Amino acid sequence: MPATVQTRDPRWVGQGIPRVDAEDKVRGRAQYVDDLLVPNGWHGHVVRAPVPHGLLRGLTPDPAFDWSRVVVVTAKDIPGPNCIVSHDRSMPVIASDEFLYAGEPVALIAAPTLRLAREAAEHLRIDFEERPAILTLHEVADQFKHNDPALVKLCGQTIRKGDAEAALARAHKVVEAEYTAGHQEQLYIEPQGLVAEPTGDGGVFIYGSMQCPYFIVHELCEALALPPEKIRVKQAAVGGAFGGKEEFPTWLAGYVALLALKAKRPVKIVYDRHQDILYTTKRHPVWSRYRTGLNRDGTIAAIAVDFLLDGGAYLTLSDVVMYRGILHAAMGYRCDHVFVNGLVARTNTVPSGAFRGFGAPQAIWGLESHVDAMAAAAGMTPHEFRLKNCLVQGDTTPTGQVLKWSVGSPAVLEKSLERCRFDEQWKKCSRGKPGAKSWYGIGVSFFAHGAAFTGDGEARIKARAAMDLDWLAPGRPGGIVRVSSTEMGQGALTVLSQLAADGLGLDLSRVSCPFPDTALVPNSGPTVASRTTMVVGSCVYGAAGKLKKALEQFAGKPIASGKEFDEIASAYLNKHGRLRVEHLFVLPPGTQWDQKTFRGDSYPGYSWGCNVAEVEVDPRTLGIRVKKITAFYDIGKVVNPVLAKGQIEGGLVQALGYSVMEKIGIDRKGRFDASRMQTYIIPTMQDIPEMDLDFVEFPFDHAPPGAKGVGELPMDGLAPAIANAIEAATGLRMRDLPITPEKLYEHSQKNLGR
Amino acid sequence: MKKITFTLNGESRTVAVAPHEVLLDVLRDKLGVKSPKVGCERGDCGACTILLDGKPVRSCLILAVEVEGQEITTLEGVGRDGPTPLQESFIRHNAFQCGFCAPGIVLAATALLEKNPKPTAHEVQEAISGNLCRCTGYEAIIESAVEAGRQGTARARKPAARKSANR
Repeated sequence: MPATVQTRDPRWVGQGIPRVDAEDKVRGRAQYVDDLLVPNGWHGHVVRAPVPHGLLRGLTPDPAFDWSRVVVVTAKDIPGPNCIVSHDRSMPVIASDEFLYAGEPVALIAAPTLRLAREAAEHLRIDFEERPAILTLHEVADQFKHNDPALVKLCGQTIRKGDAEAALARAHKVVEAEYTAGHQEQLYIEPQGLVAEPTGDGGVFIYGSMQCPYFIVHELCEALALPPEKIRVKQAAVGGAFGGKEEFPTWLAGYVALLALKAKRPVKIVYDRHQDILYTTKRHPVWSRYRTGLNRDGTIAAIAVDFLLDGGAYLTLSDVVMYRGILHAAMGYRCDHVFVNGLVARTNTVPSGAFRGFGAPQAIWGLESHVDAMAAAAGMTPHEFRLKNCLVQGDTTPTGQVLKWSVGSPAVLEKSLERCRFDEQWKKCSRGKPGAKSWYGIGVSFFAHGAAFTGDGEARIKARAAMDLDWLAPGRPGGIVRVSSTEMGQGALTVLSQLAADGLGLDLSRVSCPFPDTALVPNSGPTVASRTTMVVGSCVYGAAGKLKKALEQFAGKPIASGKEFDEIASAYLNKHGRLRVEHLFVLPPGTQWDQKTFRGDSYPGYSWGCNVAEVEVDPRTLGIRVKKITAFYDIGKVVNPVLAKGQIEGGLVQALGYSVMEKIGIDRKGRFDASRMQTYIIPTMQDIPEMDLDFVEFPFDHAPPGAKGVGELPMDGLAPAIANAIEAATGLRMRDLPITPEKLYEHSQKNLGR
Repeated sequence: MKKITFTLNGESRTVAVAPHEVLLDVLRDKLGVKSPKVGCERGDCGACTILLDGKPVRSCLILAVEVEGQEITTLEGVGRDGPTPLQESFIRHNAFQCGFCAPGIVLAATALLEKNPKPTAHEVQEAISGNLCRCTGYEAIIESAVEAGRQGTARARKPAARKSANR
C-alpha cells in the first residue's frame, strides 16, 4: 500500500462530480450489446428441457425441415469436458443425459435470422423420460425439519462460538421463530446479451453485457478446450446487472461461443424479457429458524440459527452465498454463544445466483425481524434493545473476529434514531387499533455488511490493478486505468477515475478509464461483493501513486503541476514507450481465517447501516404504503457522495420491491410463474417513499484512501425494518417476504380465530 | 411490404415495412436509430419511448405502418448540438446509472415539460411513472425534471424547434 496519501488541489476523492459517462447516457449514445453492428452475424437460440427433471433419451430432427440453413450444437459438439467451471464442475454447458430444471439447455441453434432459429427449434423433438422433481423452498424446508433423507444437500457449513445449546438451556427466556423469503429477480432493464466471434487463431472473442470478464475466460476454457489467452472477453455498456450478470453470462457465453465456433461466424444471443425472467438466476429463497436465549438483564445469552437456501438445480456459487448468509445471520450483536447451521438444498429449478447482497439480505431479514421479537420478550423497545446489545469497537463477532478498526456502530444506529425521532414516533404506532382510518407504524433495523470477499477470498485471488502511462490522444499523455472491474451503472468508471487522478495528483482530464478487455487488463477480480471501490479502487490509487513516483525518478525531480507532468510524461513516452505499473491488494496485517471451522477474520472490514421505515396500512384494504425511510450508512471514506447516494436510493427501492411487491413463485410445470414485467411487479416512480439518507465516515485505513463497500448495503436491512413497522402499525408479525395485503389478510384471519 | 414515409428527427424518411413490423424494430434494425431500447417488447418498461407528434408513446406497441405521415422524435433528435437544459439537469443530479432507461425517460420528461413547463414532483411522478428504472430509485430523476422546470430553461428540443431557435 502507498506509504503516503497524495493530496493535492483539486482533490477528487470526496467530490460529488458527475459520472464520466453521464453525457453519453442522457444523449442516448451509450452502446449496449444489442446496439452494436455485427457484420455477417447470426442469431442464436437455446432449445430447452420441457419439464423440471428428466432423462434425455435423444434429439430427433424433423427430416422434412431443411437443416442446411442452420447450425445445431448439442453436448456432443463440446470440445472439452462438458462443464462450466464454477465452484464445482457439476453444471453442464448443455445437458447430455439428464436435465435438472425446466429450461435447461439441451441444444443450441444458430441461423441467419432469429425467426429461422426458433422455427428450427420447433422441428427438433426432445425425447425424454420424466423423473420426479422437487420444486419449492417449502418442500425442502419440510424435508429439513423432518430430517428427511430425500433432502439433496448441495453444501453445508457451520459457525460455532461457545456452546449455544447449553446457553439456551440456561437462558431466562427463549424466543423462537421461522422466517422465509422467495425468489427475487434482478430485473435489470437491459436483458442478457452476448456476441461471440471466432478469431483467426482458433480462439474466440466474446463481448457484451457482463459483470465479470475473467469469470467467462476461466469458467469456459475447459469446455472450449482453449487456453485462457485464446478467449478474449470485452465489456460493452451494461444496462444494469445487480448480480444477475455475475455468473449467468458465462452460461450464455458458452452458448454463443460454441455456436460461433461451429458456424465459423459471429453469433449473437440477446434474450427477450420472457426468456430472461424464465431462464436466468435469481436471489436464493431462504428459510431460517432462530432460537435465541435472553438473560434477565436484556442481554443476549445465545443465538442458534438454521439457515437454508434453495440453490436450484446446481451448486454454481451457492456455497459462497450461503457463507455470506451465515456470516451475517448472527452478526451485529454481542453474544458469547452462537451456532449457525447453513446449508444449500437442491430443487429442480433454475440455479439461484448472485443478487445484490449475496445471502446477507436473506440472513438479515430473519435476524432483524427476530431482534424485535427478542426486544419484546425482554420488555424493551426495539431501539433500546439494539442500543444495549449492538457490537461496538473491541467486541467480537460470531467467528471470533475482534472489531479493531473502522466500526460505524453504534454511530449509524444512534444518528438514525435521532434523525427520525424514533422514540417519539414509536409511541404513536397504531398497533392495529380498531376504528382507526389509517394505521401508522415505525420500525428499525441495524446491520453490518462484510466488505470485499469472504474469508481468505481476497488473499486467494490476488487482485491487481494496473495504470498505464500512455497517450490519451496525440500529444496528450495520461494515465489509463486497467482493471477488470466493469461499469454496470454503479459508477465504477467515475470513482476509479477519481482515485487514479488523486493517486497521480493530477486533474481528472489526465486519466482515462475504459471498459475492460481481457486482452489489455490484469485480473482485478470480479465486479461483485461491494469490493470495487474498496479493493480495486485502493489498488488503482496505489498504482497511480507508483506511476507518479516512477516518472519523478525518471525526471529526477518532483512533479508539481499538470504542465510538468505533460512534459515529463511525453519525454518518457517518446524515449521508452508505454509504462505499466501494477498494485496488488494486501489484507490487513495479522488477518487470520480458517476456511474449515469458519473461525477468524471473516472480512477485512465492515460497512454499517441502520434503516428506519415508517409505514401506513389501510385497515380496510390492508394496503401497505411505505411513507418514509431514514437511513445512515458507514461506508468508510465516501469517494463520490452523489454517486454513493444514488447507490443507496436505488438499492433501497429494490429492497422496497423485495419487501412488499416482488412476488414470483414456481408453477406446476416447474417454471417461474411471473415471467413478464406485467406480472413481476417492481416499484415505479409512484411507489417510492420519502428518503432521508446520510453517511458517517469511519475510513478503512488498510485500503487507502479508506473506502469500504457500498453497493450491496441498501439491500440488507429494509425488509425487516418494514416488517417491524408493519407489526407496530397492525399488531401482525409477518415472517414471509414479500409482505402483501393478501398475506396480511390471511394472517389477520388466523389471529382472529386464535 | 409497404412503403411508408414519415419525419424522423426533422428529416423525411421512406422505408419498406411488413404489416406486422413494430416501429421499434424498424427504427433500430432498418434505420439504425438505436436510442430506443428493447426492454420488454410488451409496453411495460418504457425503454422504447419515442415522441410521436410530440407525445410520448411506446414504439414497441406501434405498428410501423401506422406512422405514415407523422412526426417522430427519438433521442438522436434532441439536443444535437449539446445537452439540453433538461439533460444537463439529469447529468448534475446523477439521474441515471446504467442509462438503459434514459432515452425513454429523457423523452417522456421532455414531452412533459413542453406541456407543463413547471411541473411539481407529483406531476413528474404521474407523467413518467410508466417508465421503469431499476438503478436509481427515481428520486434523482424527479429532482432533475422539477429543477429544470423551476429554472425555466427547459423546453422540448424537437429538431424543428431547434432550427428556428437558431442557437
